[in-house]
Amino acid sequence: MKVRLVLLALLLTACSVGPTEPAKITPRAAPPPLPPQASELSEAPTSAPNSAPNCDATASLRPGPLPEPGQMPDGSTMAKIQARGRLIAGVDQNTYLMGFRNSFTGEIEGFDVELARRLAQAIFNDPAKVQFKIVTSAGRIPALKSGDVDVVVRTMTITCQRLAEVDFSAVYYQAGQRVLVRRNSGISGVEALQGKKVCATAGSTSLANVASKGTKPVSVPNWTDCLVMLQQGQVDAISTDDTILAGLAAQDPYTEVVGGRFTEEPYGIGVPKGQEDLVRFVNGVLEQMRADGTWVALYRRWLGQLGPAPTPPVARYRD
Amino acid sequence: MVIDTEAPRRAVLRRVTGLARSTPGRLSLIALLLIATSFIAGSLTAMSVINRAEALEELAMRSEPLSHAAQEVYRSLQDADATAASAFLSGGLEPAALRDRYEADIAQAQAALSRATASHPDLTATLASQLPVYTGLIETARTNNRQGFPVGAAYLGEASALMRAQLLPAARELYRSETDGVAQAQQRAAKFPVAELTLGLLVLAALGLAQVYLTRKTNRLLNVGLVVATGAAFVSLLWVVVTSVIVIGDVNDSRTGGSGRVAVLAQARIATLTARGEETLTLVARGSGQNYEKNYVEVAKELEGLLEQAKRTAPSAEVDSALTHFHAWQATHGRIRQADDAGQYTEAVALIAEPSFDELDADLVRAIGLARQGFSKEIAAARGALVGTVVGVLALAVLSAAASVMGLWQRLKEYR
Repeated sequence: MKVRLVLLALLLTACSVGPTEPAKITPRAAPPPLPPQASELSEAPTSAPNSAPNCDATASLRPGPLPEPGQMPDGSTMAKIQARGRLIAGVDQNTYLMGFRNSFTGEIEGFDVELARRLAQAIFNDPAKVQFKIVTSAGRIPALKSGDVDVVVRTMTITCQRLAEVDFSAVYYQAGQRVLVRRNSGISGVEALQGKKVCATAGSTSLANVASKGTKPVSVPNWTDCLVMLQQGQVDAISTDDTILAGLAAQDPYTEVVGGRFTEEPYGIGVPKGQEDLVRFVNGVLEQMRADGTWVALYRRWLGQLGPAPTPPVARYRD
Repeated sequence: MVIDTEAPRRAVLRRVTGLARSTPGRLSLIALLLIATSFIAGSLTAMSVINRAEALEELAMRSEPLSHAAQEVYRSLQDADATAASAFLSGGLEPAALRDRYEADIAQAQAALSRATASHPDLTATLASQLPVYTGLIETARTNNRQGFPVGAAYLGEASALMRAQLLPAARELYRSETDGVAQAQQRAAKFPVAELTLGLLVLAALGLAQVYLTRKTNRLLNVGLVVATGAAFVSLLWVVVTSVIVIGDVNDSRTGGSGRVAVLAQARIATLTARGEETLTLVARGSGQNYEKNYVEVAKELEGLLEQAKRTAPSAEVDSALTHFHAWQATHGRIRQADDAGQYTEAVALIAEPSFDELDADLVRAIGLARQGFSKEIAAARGALVGTVVGVLALAVLSAAASVMGLWQRLKEYR
């Protein structure tokens, strides 16, 4: 029986034609997905800090006595806001802890958002009378210039270059740029990022800063897009202000903030150019918050994970 | 030994030419020619009819179902994306109804895709490889949303960008190619019967010539066999031409009343879902969605044009109802924009649940269903008209050949 089978097999092999290439299955090659509008920059962004004029950026306008809520002086910018019935604030909904959307309630929350509510409180005696408009990093100055928003409270660094286009309040928070990497990446700070892909948002000071450190900057619209790219292994690091990085690190335990601050990022509330009364009013509100402990309370609530609350930044005025 | 191969050939030639010179020989040749003409023309005509029947079968069994499958792929992907954005917008735990709708969309896309893949794997490769990537991103977005992390929104944005940049264009391409398939099959099925007509006339002409020859040779006006043969050939020609005209009419009706209507309505449905997506994303962007709103306005305008076109070319209660719901939706959209622009974001988000969009979508589903029924009715009628034609044409060809031979045989007998 066996012999017959072997013979049959031999016969069959003898009859078969030459060997054919085994069929292969090749998938359609497609690039891995990217956040919308993500792009690797081939040259440094034009808003490089060293090209800006020199100025005393952080000196703002001295506040006068604050008017009573609901009684804004006639003809002032605040009176116009009061007549409209709501303050329009440009904020972020993607920067955890500073300005983000609470995915359970759908409300926008965070340190910056709370500041905007305090401004509404000072104008209307009602912190809810504020309309939030979401602006991207790159959309902040255009929104102020077009009058789309009354103020921008969105981790906005005061720079001389920006001062040429908009006005700023006194410094309400002193941040500094650091680096976020995957744990065990071996990267210890900004010095180790030479030639590595580093993500930052378009139109931010952070992007200009990383570009000047010899990295390959990658720009995206929102900070969370950077985290997506880091999680997908498309960038080696994210570099921006420690406040923003803390918010990103809180969303992914496999990341860590490394290295010391290598820039100073004084945050100010952006106001359309020329509205000095509003700048003075905002500074008055900030003074009040520093004095009555609101600032420290806000810090503890939103940024407590950065460590114990520091003393609020001291306002400087050019009068 | 030398064999003269030329000799037998010359002998055959002599016999044939000799035959052709004598009248009985000529009559035999004519009989042979008429048999050949009848059979060749008959089988060629039958083949033409078979081609037409095959085109109709292709329409009923493959092209139209495939084009519908492609449309479903496109539609369900578009709907999945709009639904995912809606679920995000609603905040909190995603509403079960939206999650169900998303899951049904993905299941539907997958089912429709496997049907299209079976016949055109090359066209569906991108869809097949990217759809799992898309659903993976959506689930990552959900997981992060559940933990209250804003990075979830970024994953959602990435998924939506993948949908818009890769999946939807591939689905659109697939849909276009499948509707082209329908149009081509319709063209083949509704071809003017040139071959049938030419062949039929050729047979009639041959029979006529034979009759003329016989009349001249025998001084008898009519030959019964040839008359019967001519009658059979004429009936065959008439049959083929009449059925062709019926089929052409039905196929044209299937285009105007069926596939053409489906195309307009399907475009309208896709435009509806696209506009819905843009409307939702405008709210998700919360103040920075001017581009989405601009797209919405553009797509809504296109949608209105499509609905008007559907009303003009094929008025029906469904289309009227769709137009009513479209205008209601437009009004709601106006209120949404007004509320959002006035800072009443929560009110704006609540308005998006108004039913006019869902009603419009349901109207279009019904209208598409009716148009598809109209299509299959016309194609079934066309296929019915062709039943028996092939057998009839072949039988008549045999009859025609047999009658010619019998007619000529009678004359031949006179030379014995």
